[in-house]
Amino acid sequence: MTATLTNPLRVGLRQERVISPQCLVIFGASGDLTHRKLVPALFELFRQRRLPSEFAILGCARRPWSDDEFRAKMAAALAPVIRDHPTAWEQFASGLFYEPVDLQQSEHLVRLAHRLEAIDRLRATRANRTFYLSVSPDFYGSGCRALADAGLLSDPKRSRVVIEKPFGRDYGSAEQLNRIVQACAQENQVFRIDHYLGKETVQNILVLRFANTIFEPIWNRNFISSVQITAAETVGVEERAGYYESSGALRDMVQNHLTQMLALTTMEAPGRFDPEAIRNEKAKVLQAARLANEDEPWKCCVRGQYAAGGSANDPLRGYREEPGVNPNSTTETYVAMKLFIDNWRWQGVPFYLRTGKRLPKRLSEVVLTFREAPVHLFDAAGGSPTANQLILRIQPDEGAGFVFEVKAPGSGMRSRPVDMHFSYDESFGEPSDEGYVRLLADAMLGDPTLYTRADEVEAAWRLYTPLLELIEDSPWQLPVHPYEASTWGPGASDSLLASDDLMWRRP
Amino acid sequence: MSPQLTLQAPLALSPNEVSGYLDRLWEKDLEASTGASTFTLVVWEPSWLQQQLIRTGHIDGPISGLLNEQLFEVARAVTADCGLPPCTSPMAPELAWALGQQPGSHTAEDLRGQFVDQAISAHRPRRLITLAPTLRDDHPLETLVAAYCPLPEERSGSAPACGDVVVLRGGKGAIEQGLGMVNPLVADDLPCWVWWNGSLDESPNLLEALALPSRRLVLDSSIGDPRRCLDVLVERIAAGQAVNDLNWLRQRTWTESLAMVFDPPGRRDALTHVVQLDIDVEGDHPVQGLLLAAWIADRLGWHLLSSYRIPANGTEAGIGAEFQRNDGQIVQFRLMSVPVGVPKSHPGALVGLRLICCPEGRKPLCVILCSESGGCMRLEAGGVATMELAEEVVSLSNESEEMEMARLLSGGHDSTNPLLAAAAPVAAKLLPH
Repeated sequence: MTATLTNPLRVGLRQERVISPQCLVIFGASGDLTHRKLVPALFELFRQRRLPSEFAILGCARRPWSDDEFRAKMAAALAPVIRDHPTAWEQFASGLFYEPVDLQQSEHLVRLAHRLEAIDRLRATRANRTFYLSVSPDFYGSGCRALADAGLLSDPKRSRVVIEKPFGRDYGSAEQLNRIVQACAQENQVFRIDHYLGKETVQNILVLRFANTIFEPIWNRNFISSVQITAAETVGVEERAGYYESSGALRDMVQNHLTQMLALTTMEAPGRFDPEAIRNEKAKVLQAARLANEDEPWKCCVRGQYAAGGSANDPLRGYREEPGVNPNSTTETYVAMKLFIDNWRWQGVPFYLRTGKRLPKRLSEVVLTFREAPVHLFDAAGGSPTANQLILRIQPDEGAGFVFEVKAPGSGMRSRPVDMHFSYDESFGEPSDEGYVRLLADAMLGDPTLYTRADEVEAAWRLYTPLLELIEDSPWQLPVHPYEASTWGPGASDSLLASDDLMWRRP
Repeated sequence: MSPQLTLQAPLALSPNEVSGYLDRLWEKDLEASTGASTFTLVVWEPSWLQQQLIRTGHIDGPISGLLNEQLFEVARAVTADCGLPPCTSPMAPELAWALGQQPGSHTAEDLRGQFVDQAISAHRPRRLITLAPTLRDDHPLETLVAAYCPLPEERSGSAPACGDVVVLRGGKGAIEQGLGMVNPLVADDLPCWVWWNGSLDESPNLLEALALPSRRLVLDSSIGDPRRCLDVLVERIAAGQAVNDLNWLRQRTWTESLAMVFDPPGRRDALTHVVQLDIDVEGDHPVQGLLLAAWIADRLGWHLLSSYRIPANGTEAGIGAEFQRNDGQIVQFRLMSVPVGVPKSHPGALVGLRLICCPEGRKPLCVILCSESGGCMRLEAGGVATMELAEEVVSLSNESEEMEMARLLSGGHDSTNPLLAAAAPVAAKLLPH
């Protein structure tokens, strides 16, 4: 049997909410993110007919480009896609504009406001504006202030601001940034992006939990013995050494992406599918989360840094040998930790989080391990029966799996574990949109469900404050253990689980 | 969501005063405000059913132009009294016509054009022009004007963005005579939507005059003679006009449900081996069913060979057709009208769909979709039990016309949906002359 590539009945059928006439203003338009992610995502939305014709993109940066130069640069960056859709690009590009803007110069903001009014007239964008701050994190606060001073955020129904990660460096800086941003705009105008939330499979955690009756009754401490959340990358630091040296895995991955997966996995059921209801529950569960040992955080956290590895044919550099990295760097490229959530649902259930670069596989997953059967009636083929596991695969091979015991064929009554497997590919066969496609559309729709609210961000930073303080004040207590590139991290992280008679899942 | 009235009592002006009054209003009285930079919405709002139900004393006024389930319930209840079959939809023009033959002289305040659904008013139309024909043909033309601004608590910016409302009320002839004042009231620099909220059979000249090719037309192909409905759709789309069909939008749960059946890649091969398509619709208005069949045919690359009428057999009559697949094989199509006890609000709603695929060397696959109220028993007959069966219940949307309209107004519908553009000509050919 040959399956056709796409479902012909699915083409053009998407039931999407309609974005209002809109001007998206990108600050930092000359940067990588604009041509690598944002404009491709917007072009994808355009090709899917999800953008209104009354739409414009205004790129802003300090470089003195013209509209045509901006269009040409975007066209060059998207050349492979445009080759297949030249007419669509022509139409799309007619809505691309550029204005040289330095957010620190008030006269530039005045000029920007005039330009936006002109675009409203030209493209009938009805003064609906989404400002995307794709600038250095140092300018998030001052950028918001400049927009507010220019009156560009004064209409809470028509103006929004999207802020890229990282939102702060720690609890204190995040709180301060929140204060500045909230003085400039109402909370419902502020969209703090975490692109992990744009992933279909991350959103599916909510659907799986709250659209099925079989999971919720057992989704608690009475049935679940432990939870592992993993985000593993095979790549090294690549060209991001400058940023990564000052952030490390804890700030780059754990505080945002892994914490969001933790929140979605552990939150209570919201009363309704409503942005505030969902974000309330996420914030509540994060406020109840804590490190397993806050007094001695070094006992519940392991840091690592990849060393050289690979094979003779394909050697891999260690982190300290990477271009732009301090040869004596103590920045962690791997972190594993144990958390608890002090509430009725999760009291006593350990949550193990790990993330790292240069691990053997690229994957993100949430694994819920259920308690063992109270009585073992049967011999297990593997010595002891395997605990049931529900595996939510975020990427790649998006889907879910369930491990359970069945009777092994033969005359005896021996049990062995098998996998039940759901794959997005097999069931839907369509590639998911890039996370930015969903998130940009949501921001322009004014739907903040998949964006993090101020209290969520602060709760997430507060959770890791003991670790950040320890790294800052007495880093020798939380040393970075070297691990060979393309292995599953330092041995110390295995010990973290071994002390609980557990092991990391080897996917 | 409760509808909103204009805040200001509308001012009755003579038709030739309207334009000058509005200019003065914006230049002087509202100079502190800005006109909403949004769109003009022109609505043909006959509301015959509501007007007739009020006249005959079946419901109380006012005449609002808004439809709701309560009104439909009353309409269904009076169907038999009007000598119509129980499967007649409330929105079928013959019901309003039959009511028109009944005695009655109740009157009510006419608030059409001033009674705006909140879903629509939330988009702040810059100008809302309502053409409200009255039951009495000799009713002289009345023109009413009102301006509105958001309440202080609804304002989101510093300067309120305001709009105005113009209502032309009178007998059909009077409205046609007053038509000359409408086009100058439509701002050239803003998008203009024309919502033909009535039967496509009536006042073709008025439709021509209002729905200029540059304007975005919203119509409902379930109301009016099927041939006329499909011809209007096809002509307008072919002329490059942006056409949005509410009847097409109402069938979206069916297209979505059918697509869902074939999402798993393992099932897709069956789509190239379809041998039979059956569609059941309520009553005798086939357009929604034909559009669905045409969409399937277009998506699967079928070529229409012939279509014919299936003679009435008891209570059922229908349309048959033969398509040719890309591989030369024939697909049989039948659309049957079936009687239902409680008809949906609009004529010709889909009741069921059956798609039979016969992949080589594999068990035939039969896909049956049916509406919650419809039941699938008829489609389950005829040897389906021996096939692999994929059966889905299609949940039906309860959204009002105004909600659908508001969704269109919110943007992104400035050209005809390509799927509708491809399906409409096929549907028109499927309907035998």
